[in-house]
Amino acid sequence: MLLDFFQTSLDGLMVGGLYATVALGITLVFGLVGILNFAHGQMVMLGAYIVFFATAAGWGFWFGLALAMVCMALFGLLLERVVFRRTLGNPMAGLAVSLGLIMIIENLAAAAFTPDPRFVDPPLVGSVALGSLVFSSQRLLVLVVAGTLIGAFYLFLQKTQIGKGIRAMAQNRQGAALVGVRITRVTAAIFAAGSALAGAAGALLASLFAITPFMGNTPLMKGFILATLGGLGSVPGAIAAGFLLGLAESFGSRYLSASFRDGYGFILLIATLLFLPNGLFGARTKAKL
Amino acid sequence: MANATDRGAAGEEPIPTGRPRKPIDWRGIAPLSGWLLLLALAIVPIVVDSRYIVYLGTLLALQAALATSLNLIIGYAGQFALSHAAFYGIGAYASALLVSSSGMGFWASVPVAVMIAVTIAIVIGYPALRYTGGIHFALITFAFGELLRLLAANWHDLTGGPQGMQAPYSPEPLLGIDFSTGRGQYLLAAAVLAFSLLVVAAIRASRIGRGLTAIREDEVLAASLGIDVTRSKLFAFVASSALAALAGTAYAPFMGFISPELLNAGESVSMVGVLIVGGMGTLSGPIIGTLLFVAIPELFRIARLYRLVILGAVIVLAVLFMPDGIAGLLKRWLRRFGPPRSSAGEG
Repeated sequence: MLLDFFQTSLDGLMVGGLYATVALGITLVFGLVGILNFAHGQMVMLGAYIVFFATAAGWGFWFGLALAMVCMALFGLLLERVVFRRTLGNPMAGLAVSLGLIMIIENLAAAAFTPDPRFVDPPLVGSVALGSLVFSSQRLLVLVVAGTLIGAFYLFLQKTQIGKGIRAMAQNRQGAALVGVRITRVTAAIFAAGSALAGAAGALLASLFAITPFMGNTPLMKGFILATLGGLGSVPGAIAAGFLLGLAESFGSRYLSASFRDGYGFILLIATLLFLPNGLFGARTKAKL
Repeated sequence: MANATDRGAAGEEPIPTGRPRKPIDWRGIAPLSGWLLLLALAIVPIVVDSRYIVYLGTLLALQAALATSLNLIIGYAGQFALSHAAFYGIGAYASALLVSSSGMGFWASVPVAVMIAVTIAIVIGYPALRYTGGIHFALITFAFGELLRLLAANWHDLTGGPQGMQAPYSPEPLLGIDFSTGRGQYLLAAAVLAFSLLVVAAIRASRIGRGLTAIREDEVLAASLGIDVTRSKLFAFVASSALAALAGTAYAPFMGFISPELLNAGESVSMVGVLIVGGMGTLSGPIIGTLLFVAIPELFRIARLYRLVILGAVIVLAVLFMPDGIAGLLKRWLRRFGPPRSSAGEG
């Protein structure tokens, strides 16, 4: 019984780590630039394919992970430069554009990669035994990598010059511009960082689940739910909500019903939006409409 | 501004100066000719003896009806509802279940299905519009649509699960029209489209419609003018969802089969795309968008895959460079070639 509990918790934490990685990118872009980027899930998918092709070419999983992050960061920069820079200040136009981008990326991916599911050999096989608990090493690894990424990202926001610029912009865009933060450059950095996280999440997902051109939708929806739950724009909120939802889903499908697993999040989202529109942790953020 | 008067003077017939030819008011003629063209298009499937044309006509009429009703909430009220496919699905499932399991007649099932949709729209719409707005409304409706799709896919006993269910019935004959034939189905779909257009046109011309436009332009100002913002938005959402459900009831017997894929959020998204490209907040926009994105690819047999890629690309380009859509573009051309009008308030 207790064993089962720990196993379920670890599962939840692992999934939660992945969710948090996706949600971070979404909350960052929305909270700071005001764009709800529906195409974020497609970046997760592209990241997964990059890892697939990198390992197929014999470059190894770790190189593939790094490559996915770099490629997605560049892709995010490109999107920001070509598309989203023009829709700044008009959230609905940004939303509509990202809906268009989903269609383009997803269907081109389906044409290029075929809809057949692909699999990546995980870098670690086997399992670790801790007393009478047995954990899959790959799942532990995913948890560690996701945790590391989230931690590194948090440090990036707190310590680096550009991270401070991002936080300044989150508080007051004009104020930040007045004290010398280069708004355009920081906006580009936000897109790059958010997209790199999406690429990393894709790489981690690829090591656990099947890769298909349509795999981005579930993490995207979860990411939205979490970003909203945590309060749009709140980084600690997104992280905490990610782990919470992971645990809730894992316990819900273990002890309640597994087939409705994805539904718990939606119910949670609707309830939160109705009663706590600023999210669980977003009490201080200004309501952006 | 070079207007039509100069154009007339530059024509082949020399016109005595001081008495310019009366310019043609294209703005009055263009909408009328547009509707006549639509009517002519609508007659084609009735006259032409081709099963394919009749099928295509039915599909187009239903899609155009959906886009028309979605336009009410997005185009006129300015609220980004991403649940339209879900209400289409509610209509289809509710009607099909009533007919096949409780033995109700098709015509009796339609008002019941629409009322179910109205109830659900009020339940989800009231809190969503009352307490949130903008992006949050888009997220709630999106999540609600996905929730319904999951429900349809998982409630095996009622909906048949992900494999969908058969709808092996056709509406009973009415007014001497046999609805079991392809042509009868087409007439039903065309009637749904005509009804949706009428409802939207009537709302647009009414006090509520003007209130909705005011809300879209400036919510605070609209509220200060005494417009009940939440109530107007809710009315638009409920009416738009009910019309979607109505189209859904016609869809089930037409296809003879419904599945949870009908409720896919992707469908809602592509409807929004059709609307953006056609032109939001205009009567003709949704129809132009549907013709462009359903008729042309279908006629030229472009694979669904590339169709969506092209639709996506056109959406992006339209939002960036043509925010008023094709209908807005046409309107601007008409304004340029029409006679100048002094009143600034018309539109």
